[in-house]
Amino acid sequence: MLESQLQNLAASAGERILAAASPEQLEAVRVEVLGRKGAIAEFSKGMGKLTAEDRARAGRLLNSVKNELEAALEARRKRFADEALQARLDAEWIDVTLPAPGPRPGTLHPLTQIQQELEDLFTSMGVAVLDGPEVESEYNNFDALNIPPDHPARDMQDTFWLGEGLCLRTHTSPVQVRGMAKLGPPLRMIAPGRVFRNEEVDASHEHTFYQLEGMMVDRDVSIANMLYFMKTLLSHVFGREVTVRLRPGYFPFVEPGFELDIQCLICGGAGCAVCKQSGWVELLPCGLVHPNVLRQGGIDPEQWGGFAFGLGLTRLVMMRYGIDDIRHLQGGDLRFLRQF
Amino acid sequence: MKFSYNWIHELVEGLEASPADLTRLITIKTAECEGVEAAGAHFAQVVAARILEVEAIPGSHNRRAVADAGPLGRRTVVCGAPNCRAGIVTAYVPAGVFLEGREIGRRVVDGVESDGMLASGSELGINRDHEGILELDAEPGVPLPHIVPDHIIEVDNKSLTHRPDLWGHYGMAREAAAITGKRLLDPVRLERIPPGAAAVKVTIEDFQLCPRYSALVFENVTVRPSPLWLQYRLEAIGLNSINNIVDVTNYVMAELAQPMHAFDADKLSGDTIFVRNAREGERITALNGEAYDLTAASLVIADGSGPIAIAGVIGGLDSAISDSTTRLVLESANFHAANIRRTSSRLKLRTDASMRFEKSQDPVNTARGLARAVELLEMVSPGIRLTGGMADLAAPARTPAPITLPMDWLMRKLGRPIESAEVRSILESLMFGVSETSPGVFSVSVPSWRATKDISIKDDLVEEIGRMVGYATITPTAPVVPTKPPPDNPRRRFHRAVRQAVAAQGFHEVYNYSFLSEEDVRRFGLAPADHVAVANPISVDQALLRRTLIPGIWKNIRENSKHFDQFRLFEVGVEIHKREGGLPDEVPHLAAAIYERTKEAGPFYEVKRLAECLMPGCEPRPGSARMFEHPFRAADIVWRGETVGRLFEFHPDFVEGRAVVLDVDLARMEALAPVEKRYQPVRRFPGSAFDLSVIAPRRALAGDLRKQLASFAGPQLESIVYLRQYEGSPLPDDAKSVSFRLTVAATDRTLSSEEVGATRDAIIEGMRGLGYEMRV
Repeated sequence: MLESQLQNLAASAGERILAAASPEQLEAVRVEVLGRKGAIAEFSKGMGKLTAEDRARAGRLLNSVKNELEAALEARRKRFADEALQARLDAEWIDVTLPAPGPRPGTLHPLTQIQQELEDLFTSMGVAVLDGPEVESEYNNFDALNIPPDHPARDMQDTFWLGEGLCLRTHTSPVQVRGMAKLGPPLRMIAPGRVFRNEEVDASHEHTFYQLEGMMVDRDVSIANMLYFMKTLLSHVFGREVTVRLRPGYFPFVEPGFELDIQCLICGGAGCAVCKQSGWVELLPCGLVHPNVLRQGGIDPEQWGGFAFGLGLTRLVMMRYGIDDIRHLQGGDLRFLRQF
Repeated sequence: MKFSYNWIHELVEGLEASPADLTRLITIKTAECEGVEAAGAHFAQVVAARILEVEAIPGSHNRRAVADAGPLGRRTVVCGAPNCRAGIVTAYVPAGVFLEGREIGRRVVDGVESDGMLASGSELGINRDHEGILELDAEPGVPLPHIVPDHIIEVDNKSLTHRPDLWGHYGMAREAAAITGKRLLDPVRLERIPPGAAAVKVTIEDFQLCPRYSALVFENVTVRPSPLWLQYRLEAIGLNSINNIVDVTNYVMAELAQPMHAFDADKLSGDTIFVRNAREGERITALNGEAYDLTAASLVIADGSGPIAIAGVIGGLDSAISDSTTRLVLESANFHAANIRRTSSRLKLRTDASMRFEKSQDPVNTARGLARAVELLEMVSPGIRLTGGMADLAAPARTPAPITLPMDWLMRKLGRPIESAEVRSILESLMFGVSETSPGVFSVSVPSWRATKDISIKDDLVEEIGRMVGYATITPTAPVVPTKPPPDNPRRRFHRAVRQAVAAQGFHEVYNYSFLSEEDVRRFGLAPADHVAVANPISVDQALLRRTLIPGIWKNIRENSKHFDQFRLFEVGVEIHKREGGLPDEVPHLAAAIYERTKEAGPFYEVKRLAECLMPGCEPRPGSARMFEHPFRAADIVWRGETVGRLFEFHPDFVEGRAVVLDVDLARMEALAPVEKRYQPVRRFPGSAFDLSVIAPRRALAGDLRKQLASFAGPQLESIVYLRQYEGSPLPDDAKSVSFRLTVAATDRTLSSEEVGATRDAIIEGMRGLGYEMRV
């Protein structure tokens, strides 16, 4: 009798568990059946009246019904949880193609980029990177570089004068003088920076542009060493082997002085519009450091020698990116700058 | 400087190099050629022709002329020249010839078929005369006498700065001869100068300013146009033909690099030429018609009554050669380079003469110039006679000591081996004197034309040998140097890190000019007088050097706001601050800006975030705003106790929309940036967090409240984070509630709830003590 009641209870409770439509309904069924005052609890109370033998049997049966119902409850609960999770995930659909908020990385000016690239290259070659001021003394800009007052070479560089013996530096070469004083021989240094020439601005001329000065002083420094250094540098800059040539060029702070040309990268030397049919493109002035300049730097020219060069960074940037108007570089136009 | 290939060819015996080859060789070995161009190619086809008949064309100013062109036969041409008349021999240009870039044809003009043309000197490129057709002394049908096609080689003047000798064709011919191994022909015959006393006296006040003055006097002079070959030669290299006398002086200058000047002897007063400094107040009207006020710094040539020329620069108008001149004094002098240069730049007068003298010309050349002139004058002014010998006053000749050139030293400089014999042969081809004083050591004496400035030390000889042996023969060789890391440049590394950090936050880097206008600086409330000023600016709007990056950034914002609704940009550049005596201070700055075309809150806190990214823990300290700043959106940026920059929104008068700028002194920032980091032990015991809200006046600063809360929390405070603020009901109108979350912890234990409560109470107590109402 007790057993059949128990089986009825189990059957109806099982049905109600399956029929529960929500976690709340399921909980109500649990409380009614398995709660402290639920049907199963009522049953156990009634078991006290049974004989010991019957009680043991009924107890086993009760336990098995209880376990069965708890398992059913748990299964049902899990089902609800799974459904809820599924529903939540479904509700969390997003349009992955919407744009991400927040700023994108900005850009470094192309002149900054090329300067950094060259600084890294030179640093890796054991070369110090030095700085010099934009406003220089006339002495450092000219006299110390073997260009005394009234020297016609001063015409080669139209100068912005500031009075009181000051000018805007016309080249990065004064950093040679500063570098020699600071580092002493032997030394290897570069000095990138802004320079100024009193020139009208047009698509190919600027009064403000960037140079990179380079200098090496050691016991025996030859033209052959300079050629090697320049070739290595330029091959790196252009990302391929370049052919260079030297021809005489006059710069009072070097002796001998050279113009260094590279074989035209566009036509390979056959002649084209870029190289004006010559097969060569003039790239940078260089030379062996003039003994007077070494002396200015407190270095004995009988003991030491060196080479120096001046690389036009502005021109290099224009060549690299195919920029046809120099005015873009200091125009501050983000339509231009964003491209780099 | 333009060089005539034909001229050089005349001076180099058997020169075979073509104009293009010679140009290339000069570029590689001597000086930069900018190009070579054919000149006067048409002279291969132009012939002399006698005009046989001329008749008017009704209704036209042109006339129909029939000319006898010798073997070409009779040609009918239409000609408008006023001097077109029967009997003269002129230049006939056959159809098919190109003249001044256009093809001469056979075409009908005013109803008459014109077969070719009769040409003026200007059309042919012989001179600048376009008043009429040429009148020649030649047989019909022959080419124009002594006028042949040429090539003009243009050499970059800058690459001749150190070479006084290359300012004339003879000097370039000397190079060509040395390069090609041919013989140089000297056009000068010194014996053309007769011995004897001079017909003019010369006194030189200062031999330093005038190391040599030579002169000859001529009589029975005829002044007339030069022969066409002379006109053509000058015209081809860009010199204007004036008359036979002046043209000879220019010819000698173009050939020997020796500037000369001819005075009309009858217009000089007294019998002495004085080379002296000008007296203050002296004035001269020069050949160009301009009057110049002279100072004692300028050297003049004077006669008994005053200056007759500005020495080495330009002659005076009063003593100039004219059609009536019959006697002349021909000056060939040498002047101090720097003095000529100073005078020429002070007078803003650069002449062919001053350009040469400022390169330090060779004093030996004065007599050579006169000798050459004698010969030429006799050709162009028949009957001309020398009066007396050469006046010649000179400082004692200075012979520089020979240069010692050790071969091993030379080879170390070149970086390649070279035979002594080759060195000797190169130097001798350039006319250096060479003797081997001991094995492997040369003693090299420098020819006078290279000794004035160009060559004085052995390093100068490296160039002579290097360029002639050919730099292409030197093999690039790695220098042998120790491998060691170079000295560091922390400043540059720091700037790089700043740039990268700012760019990473979306800012684009701009470069602005260092120049500002007075208007620019006044607009930003600065005084022009506080700026370093450019004495010779390109224009007034580039007359001052920037002492702030802000005006540049402002312009960037204005310009870019035409194209974008929002953007971020920055610059790293130097401010230039005037300083009494010495170089100005150059202070590196970062200026970063965000612009938004909005009337909403704007990007203030986004720029503040940038400041915090760069300088963790920095704080804005509100202060009085400058006139271009929003009065209530501007603050100093204080970091580690120091003011390092400024954070502000532009005043609406300056920018439409909102633009916020961070301006930081990078030198100060670098000085404050932590050099090394120290590890702090990680807290092992969890902290306890609680929220507090402070009721404060609306314009109370959250930063101050935070600091006050922190001060009451004591050492257990681990963090204090702003949560939110609230204004409105039920708070009074002038109040706000600012909420913070505080976390407290101890290093050695977990705090008990009593301890946390005590701390919390202490904070509340403390804040109440300051008069704040607390929401807890």
